[in-house]
Amino acid sequence: MARDDIHVGLEIGTTKVCAVVAECREGGDIRLLGVGETPSRGVRKGEIVDFENASNCVREALSDAEEKSDVEIKSVWLAVTGSHIQSFNNRGSLTIPEENGEITDEEIQEVEIKAKEISLPKENAILHSIIQHYHVDGQQGVLNPMGMLGAKLDADFHIIHGVATRIQNAIRSVKEFQIEVEDVVVNSLASAQVVLDSHQKDAGALVIDVGGGVTDYIVYLDGVVQHSGVLAVGGDHINNDISIGLRIPLTRAERLKVEEGSALTGKTMPGEKIILKNDTGFSGKEVEREMLNLIIHTRLEEIFAIIRKRVLAELPEHLLGAGVFLTGGTSLMRGIREVAESVFSVPVQLAHAHSVSGPTSAFENPRLSTCIGVTRYAQAVRAEQPVESVLGGLYKKVRRKFRLPF
Amino acid sequence: MIVFPKYLERSKNPIVRIFGIGNAGVNLVDRLALTHNPARELIAVNSDQQSLASSIVPAKIALGITTTRGLGAGGDPEVGLEAAQESFAEIEQALAGSDIVILCAGLGGGTGSGALSLISEAAKQNSCLLFVVVTTPFIFEGRRRATQARNALQDVADFADAVIHFKNDRITELSAPRAGVAETFAACDALMTNCIESLVGLLATQGPVAIGLPDLMSVLSGGNPDCLFAYASGQGGNRAHDAVEALLRGPLLDRGKLLDQASKLLLHISGPPNLTFAEISVVMQEIATQACDHTLLHLGITTLADTHAPITVILIGRSGSHVLLEQSAVRQRPIKPKAADEPRLIEVEPAESDPIVEAPIVQRLPKPIPTPSSIPSKIRQETLQFEPVARGRFEKIEPTMVEGEDLDIPTFQRRNLK
Repeated sequence: MARDDIHVGLEIGTTKVCAVVAECREGGDIRLLGVGETPSRGVRKGEIVDFENASNCVREALSDAEEKSDVEIKSVWLAVTGSHIQSFNNRGSLTIPEENGEITDEEIQEVEIKAKEISLPKENAILHSIIQHYHVDGQQGVLNPMGMLGAKLDADFHIIHGVATRIQNAIRSVKEFQIEVEDVVVNSLASAQVVLDSHQKDAGALVIDVGGGVTDYIVYLDGVVQHSGVLAVGGDHINNDISIGLRIPLTRAERLKVEEGSALTGKTMPGEKIILKNDTGFSGKEVEREMLNLIIHTRLEEIFAIIRKRVLAELPEHLLGAGVFLTGGTSLMRGIREVAESVFSVPVQLAHAHSVSGPTSAFENPRLSTCIGVTRYAQAVRAEQPVESVLGGLYKKVRRKFRLPF
Repeated sequence: MIVFPKYLERSKNPIVRIFGIGNAGVNLVDRLALTHNPARELIAVNSDQQSLASSIVPAKIALGITTTRGLGAGGDPEVGLEAAQESFAEIEQALAGSDIVILCAGLGGGTGSGALSLISEAAKQNSCLLFVVVTTPFIFEGRRRATQARNALQDVADFADAVIHFKNDRITELSAPRAGVAETFAACDALMTNCIESLVGLLATQGPVAIGLPDLMSVLSGGNPDCLFAYASGQGGNRAHDAVEALLRGPLLDRGKLLDQASKLLLHISGPPNLTFAEISVVMQEIATQACDHTLLHLGITTLADTHAPITVILIGRSGSHVLLEQSAVRQRPIKPKAADEPRLIEVEPAESDPIVEAPIVQRLPKPIPTPSSIPSKIRQETLQFEPVARGRFEKIEPTMVEGEDLDIPTFQRRNLK
């Protein structure tokens, strides 16, 4: 196996920075070679707020991953997120001159450019343009129009864009160590690569990646991306809520959440108390268990309600045939599935990366879904066309060639 | 013959009349009417009776009742002109006694393009100070309308003291790609009304450093046709920084980079009585670092009686280089060719305005006032919040706003669960 087939996925998250080294085989299998992880500093809501601290974390995570996988990391694929990332669907339309009614690669590229011709805020750049469907002379749902005859070619694209400088900051934190960034991938797109299989993508699925600082979500239907987005609320907010609500320090709040918290209300004995141990000179305190759970419950319920509202604006709920898939670190919260089920009227399941081999502890951990997904994305892109990248788009405005229906 | 505007003879309380001509103009004066300001009179002028009837402005002039039978000019400037000629007496009557006249119109159609030059001629003969604020059509509206707009613009430039010109194509840059139609037009209207209000406000203001008509004319008139306009305000403890940040965020100021090209700048800062000298120097220093060394800067400062007024910064400038302005545009849009010798024609490039920067809940103590203020400020008892709104860990971070709710505040607090 050539070393070229080793991809490194890096996620600079709000709670942790992690790097996944994976060996990608021809059949599409991924074998994890090593996972480097370090608690994150200087990142809030998925974006870097303290550059020096964050890049130190990146270095630690990458060297940890190198040690564990015994692979020298030269380049990474970077997962990005943040409230500035937005998406929309846009149709490009092209009239094919009569002399040559055949659709060639040139027309397909041109129609993509047309779909991208949309006035974005000046500081924004397109991160992904994902093909949904082609239409040839009104014929719907053409998967590949290459070689077909027609007078008019339409193409629906899902376009994800974000503020260029904010993404460049994440890239710079990696480039500091002379490590190349092959491309950037939006969190939700990456997670979906390993959480969903192709049947689920066809049947209609919503993947919600509830992370530390942000919640990313993406909707698939008919095998293509229909909608995606970022809500800058995550596990960090639960910690903050607990800290404010129960008047305890933040670190304490996080531990309490992980050790005792549940998203289900009405399951405790009346007046049931949790005694906070007096370990750091902090006087022992009792908190009501129901109160803790209520704080977590309302926050999670709100996150799901906002996402549901946004998704329903795009397509009706019954089209989510495969249901809702929860992943990300916060999906480890007890009772989160029941809360999501009470909001969405479709089945909800907890999900992690599948069709991956390696240490079970790694790929079964929903915290790593995005990071593993990035390597899968890398593999798919490399298999299709091993050149240009979004970075090219950011820096050189080079046109992107591959058109994978992710 | 040189005719001095009457404004120059009267120093205070000039009579300002704003005419909205044609459908677009009437829309604009309607919007201006929503913000009550007794300092100016609004008049709706149209040949379309329907548009006039729905206007909330009390003073209306119906053009060409016999020419158009109240049905509008139908996009033909000739008809618009005829209609205006027919109602010329009424127009003159409305103009009589004004010191400053501001004409607003959307060019490219019939009434706006046709009647505008006639009304501006009448205004000039009345020796008013004449500003013309116009929009030019979207590029997709076709070449015919663009030509009509260009001709009207040239005609009016002969009479107007200054023409402020917004390109409709720039609207799309002011709003997000998925903004609704109403939202997009509202953003543009808000920008134009801000511009008009600023002009009126500038001339009416008094303060430690007043902006006079000569300053305004110095910036608005002259050879180069490109002009920058930006407006922003800030409130709370960090108001000066917030205001200047919002000001420079405008896409066409290009994060302030375009200020470097400006040959003349007019900067007007207004604020509550506790506006400090330090805050003014914050704004000025930021502008000065962006502007180049030989920029001529006119500064005006006004303190308002209202203790809760935000700091408002208005920037009007003329660009020194046309080419650079075009290059900085988001995309290479086809820009309407302009006649090179248009006198005093000013292109106002809208800068994104971010009207009110979110004020922190906890107000800092007002800083000491360096100069004794003539207006005694009322001291008010601050009400203590019983349950403080807490953002905790996210205090200093960009808030997550969804449908007007700050999601950083704990959900249980927002829902009053405690």
